[in-house]
Amino acid sequence: MTPFQLYNQQPSQIVAPTSAEALAHVLRDASSTGMAVIPWGGGTRQGLGGPPRRYDIALDMRSLADVIAYTPADLVLRVGAGATLGQVQDLLATHNQWLPWNPPLPHQATIGGLLASGATGSLRMGYGTPRDWTLAMQVALGDGRLVKSGAPVVKNVAGYDTHKLHIGALGTLGVITEVTFKVAPRPAHCQTLLAAFSSPLAILEAMNQLTQPPFQPISMVIMNGNASKANPVLHSFLTDKAPHLIMAVRFAGTAGAVGRQIRMGVAVCVEEGAHTIELSEADDSSIWQAIADDLRPTEHVLIRVGVPLSHLRTMLRSVDSIPHHRGWSTEHYLIGGAGLFYARWSVSAIADLAPALAELRAGLAPLGGYAVVEHLPVALANQQPPIDIWGPPPETLTLMRSLRHTWDPAGILNPGRYLV
Amino acid sequence: MTREMLITTLRHHLGSRYVLHRREELMLYEYDGSAMDQALPDVVVVPGSTAEVAAAMATATRLGFPIIARGAGTGLAGSTVAERGGMVVSLARLNQILQIDPQAATAVVQPGVVNTDLSRAAAPYGLHFAPDPSSQRSSTIGGNAGSNAGGPHCLKYGVTSNHVLAATLVLADGHVVRVGSAVSDTPGYDLLAAVVGSEGTLGIMTELTVRLTRNAEDVRTFLAIFDDMEVAGACVSAIIADGIIPAALEMIEGEGIAAIESWAHAGYPPDARAVLLIEIDGLREDIAAEARRIALVCQASGCRELRTASDAAQRERLWAGRKGALAACARIAPHYHILDGTVPRSRLPEILRRSAEIAAHYDLKVVNIFHAGDGNIHPLLLFDLRVPGTRERAIAAGAEILRSCVEVGGTISGEHGIGIEKREFIPWIFNVEDLSAFTDLRNVFDPTGVMNPGKLLPPPASLSSLHASQPSLRLPRRGAWI
Repeated sequence: MTPFQLYNQQPSQIVAPTSAEALAHVLRDASSTGMAVIPWGGGTRQGLGGPPRRYDIALDMRSLADVIAYTPADLVLRVGAGATLGQVQDLLATHNQWLPWNPPLPHQATIGGLLASGATGSLRMGYGTPRDWTLAMQVALGDGRLVKSGAPVVKNVAGYDTHKLHIGALGTLGVITEVTFKVAPRPAHCQTLLAAFSSPLAILEAMNQLTQPPFQPISMVIMNGNASKANPVLHSFLTDKAPHLIMAVRFAGTAGAVGRQIRMGVAVCVEEGAHTIELSEADDSSIWQAIADDLRPTEHVLIRVGVPLSHLRTMLRSVDSIPHHRGWSTEHYLIGGAGLFYARWSVSAIADLAPALAELRAGLAPLGGYAVVEHLPVALANQQPPIDIWGPPPETLTLMRSLRHTWDPAGILNPGRYLV
Repeated sequence: MTREMLITTLRHHLGSRYVLHRREELMLYEYDGSAMDQALPDVVVVPGSTAEVAAAMATATRLGFPIIARGAGTGLAGSTVAERGGMVVSLARLNQILQIDPQAATAVVQPGVVNTDLSRAAAPYGLHFAPDPSSQRSSTIGGNAGSNAGGPHCLKYGVTSNHVLAATLVLADGHVVRVGSAVSDTPGYDLLAAVVGSEGTLGIMTELTVRLTRNAEDVRTFLAIFDDMEVAGACVSAIIADGIIPAALEMIEGEGIAAIESWAHAGYPPDARAVLLIEIDGLREDIAAEARRIALVCQASGCRELRTASDAAQRERLWAGRKGALAACARIAPHYHILDGTVPRSRLPEILRRSAEIAAHYDLKVVNIFHAGDGNIHPLLLFDLRVPGTRERAIAAGAEILRSCVEVGGTISGEHGIGIEKREFIPWIFNVEDLSAFTDLRNVFDPTGVMNPGKLLPPPASLSSLHASQPSLRLPRRGAWI
């Protein structure tokens, strides 16, 4: 594929600024001439948001990849938004620290792109989301103003926390140029328990128990049989290759605390009728990288569903029935502790996807849930009518539009790709 | 005339009982917890529902009166002082805990719920509300959210903004919206992130969904005693650098130790130069291991003695000293100016030395009682208002200490807010373009500029000169209270 091609559209210019000031200058010019800008990091999340309405400039962020400041003793890191998460994690690891954030493809995906696209991972169960770890940002607004908010210290209430507005905004308010994170010491030990269940009720009951004290899992993911089969690393550990529901649960801390939770976790799962596999510590990081990468873009559509935790069961029943009735193959991932669920459907025609998505949203609405097309493959995007990626807008849409208009008055940033 | 119209309309919406307008009623609302700024509002309303808040706000906006939200009034930066008059909206009657969901570990509360009351209500489920500002026995969840309050245990558990999931927000014109969501990652801009910590400048929160935190299996509290303040500061940095994130890591230094001890009998050695209060919590095996590491780090750092609280009663005694620290310092001098700056943790020894030098230069006593693990310092400048000029010296010394925080890479407020007190320092950390983006945000929520005007951002030039010509604004007219 041609670099920076997006849904078969080509930019007329490719710009790779080497400083935040130069980048701001590009935006200022684009804003005054009405050129549409698509910021690019590693491109791993460009399947979110669908085709742009216009596309003139590809803004390659990867030249802004410097680590600007890192004081391990302060647990604070300041880095250019074009650095990959993997690059950052490698640096932190040399001081036995990490950013507890594990989205897919970290060695390709950039910090700025991951933040802008609201990428998270299973570690949010134990550590929260990047929103909780972002202390400060520098952002080039759509009109070319280069602004900062936050402070490079772990506690700050000066100014508005405007940096958090850019997380998940798909670059429609501004382009993130630099980020300051709070980082964490790496846990001394991490160990993972896999459990294969045949009953959906049993796995949910086990999940429920494993999130109650004394359990303190840092990650928990539940996959259906298709999903576990699609993950060769995970699949290699499963002794019984039948299509079960698989739970992966990860504990961290001292060997004593981890060991106790694993032992108790085995008891809980066995009690619920599961077959359990205790992974060795050596296998821990590779299995979780493989699980994180499960949510990478593929040729199939990926749907993200969020519901209140209290409606998890109802949601699961409803999302199961949709591909089932249509005879689609589906991979399911439930991210523990977050009420987040991902479904990858083997659907090739927009005429099939659109009513399924509408049915899904109709089922979620009374639960207070939502569904977003997390990855729209090119083949589906080029069919008519266009799919509704974001679903019904929030009631604060007017405020959001007004904010966007004030920071990106010419509407040049990722036009047509976000709900605002 | 307009004020009369305001009062009449408000009485129509809220009933006369909940519209306070007599001078003696308004005087109760003319200051916050700092007593550094005082001003009388035109009217105080005490609405009993979101609808009443909305009606009152729409009225004030229509008639052009500033709107100032107020919880318990324990703020320390003047954010709730009605500097330009206007309508104070007391949220005291909206004090119900509407729901606790033990499974999801969330609660839905009205803004007037007192911080500790929520933790008390959540206790039967093994849960608590993590933000624990020292004012927590009187300050409210709404006020905590409005000011993004901190507290000792924010070191491990994060500040208030990490614990608010959603809010019902009334905008200046009375429009009611929901910001945030208890559902993860809902599409749309994270407006809640801007609202929390906005000091009532974007709207008024009338219902909040907050995260509750599971009580830890095991807790251990230590008192580390030092003969040297900078050694204690270095020890803080060493603990963090060793990879331990305690639940809380507090420092008390200087004359404050003896003052606290004679008041609280917490067991602090009066001759110590600095003490650290270190608390760790978690699973028992983790706690045992961290306790060993803390002992090693403290020993290597040159700690005189490390004591461990052996039971809950001893732990509470150690904390009683810390939590009563402000009151105890009244024994040293009757009035104080409490500062709130943050520095990178590795710069703590330097900033402590610098604050002592600055205080000495201004001939003031300084006691540091603060969240050391976060690098969040609270130098307490002690003075006696009756001595002419000391208050002005305290303000000048305070500005210089905060300036030093910025110079070592820190900021001017870790948790108390900007309000009136620190708005003129904002340009030390944000430039004109940064401020223009903040102003844009504010205008989006409050296009007519009635929401707590003048707070949080530096005044435009015109206001600045007005401020200078009215120094009395920062002079308590009837003495500070502690």
